[in-house]
Amino acid sequence: MSADMPNDGKKYCIKGFLSGSGTTPTRIILWLVAIAVVSFAIGFGILAVSGGFSPGTAHPNSPFTHTAWIASNTTDFPLDGATSGNISVTMGAGEITLNGGARDNILMEATVFSKSPEWQPDFSSALDNTTKTVRMTDKGHTGKAWFAVDSPNSWEIRLTDNVPVSLDVNIGAGDCQLNLGSVNLHNLNVHSGAGDTGIDLGRYRGGRFDATITKGIGDLTLKVPGSGNTRITVHQGVGDITGSGFTQNNGAYVTPGFNPALPVNEIAVKQGVGSVLLEMV
Amino acid sequence: MLQNEQEYIRILKNRLEGTLPAEDLEDLLSDYREHFRLGKADGRSEDELFCSLGSPEDVAKEIRATHLVKKAEHTCSCRNIFHAVVATLGLGLFNLVFVLVPFIILVVMLLVIFLVGVAFSLFGPAAFVYAILQLLGFPSFSIWLSPVAGIFLSVGITAVGFLLVIGDFYLARFFYRMGISYLKWNIQMITGTVHTE
Repeated sequence: MSADMPNDGKKYCIKGFLSGSGTTPTRIILWLVAIAVVSFAIGFGILAVSGGFSPGTAHPNSPFTHTAWIASNTTDFPLDGATSGNISVTMGAGEITLNGGARDNILMEATVFSKSPEWQPDFSSALDNTTKTVRMTDKGHTGKAWFAVDSPNSWEIRLTDNVPVSLDVNIGAGDCQLNLGSVNLHNLNVHSGAGDTGIDLGRYRGGRFDATITKGIGDLTLKVPGSGNTRITVHQGVGDITGSGFTQNNGAYVTPGFNPALPVNEIAVKQGVGSVLLEMV
Repeated sequence: MLQNEQEYIRILKNRLEGTLPAEDLEDLLSDYREHFRLGKADGRSEDELFCSLGSPEDVAKEIRATHLVKKAEHTCSCRNIFHAVVATLGLGLFNLVFVLVPFIILVVMLLVIFLVGVAFSLFGPAAFVYAILQLLGFPSFSIWLSPVAGIFLSVGITAVGFLLVIGDFYLARFFYRMGISYLKWNIQMITGTVHTE
């Protein structure tokens, strides 16, 4: 028992020191709680205001959506007299939303929902006679912070409705929604590794186009106008195909009144795993 | 088969030496000698007395477990509670389930909380320094999305680390007390009696 005395003495010594300095364990705990709460509040507040949080559609209830919107960063690419556009968008992981309706004389408006330098994509543009080429490429994880909360990679792109556009969209992982009803397409290529893809051509009134949609894993929803002369071929690994309103023609889905003698919008779908929903609007 | 009272006392003494203090052990053995003496005076045979007391090995196990639990109750230490648990395990095979398993779960849980707390406490200051260096533009790669946010978050992480370590201490103390009560109840349930020294 005597061996316990030094320990007790030490304990009382510490207790005496704490009470002598006006500090009790309860007070220390309360201080630590207060420091933790205030520090995290300020830290996450700074992240939110500086655009460190994703404002994408996957986080509709995020309290940081509003502040992240403030932090969005838009880059414009004017037409510069071009009569056609060639646009390539490549993202490693994140969310892409693509719409028509860019302002007059603007080929592409690209909004990145972060002002942090680490999350800015690389842009390049070139004018070749009458064709303006724009490339928007994700840097990947090189140079990005380790402790980013979720993936802040969220892009919203608006394309011109005024000139024909060839569009390449490549996304490694993540969802992408392409609302191209008002865009005048020449070519459309979509490559998606994993994630859901929605392509809405429901109100499409542009010229004839060819489209190739290649997907690894994930669901695809494709909307085409019923009034168009469209043929869709689907090669699928695993999953369901639903084609409401379409007619089967030599293994392809065609719109009502399909006439191969007229200009045909050819859409080729190659899907690994996931369902394919074809809708006629 | 026991031969006589001396052999019973000798086995008891051998089993308890080193566990009980010499003085307490001698008192205990005196009690048993007295028990034998009074029993014989009442005309009971040694075999009858052996049967009423139980085997000296079992009696020694019970006394040892009770003593070590009380020792752990009076002097809180990892070693004492460990010895108490081990001694209680010896009372029955089923205590592997009813004592050892809960004991291991609690120890692992407290250890994990402690290690996480220590990791946070060490990582926080390191991340704080890194955030400062990142703010000054020294590191070649960034670990914080925003170094200013990183300064505050690393302070928060450090505070949470300290809280986990402190909380783990109080949690350990709580489970220590609960554990002692449980071991006492366990011994009482197995032996049906509470040994006093």
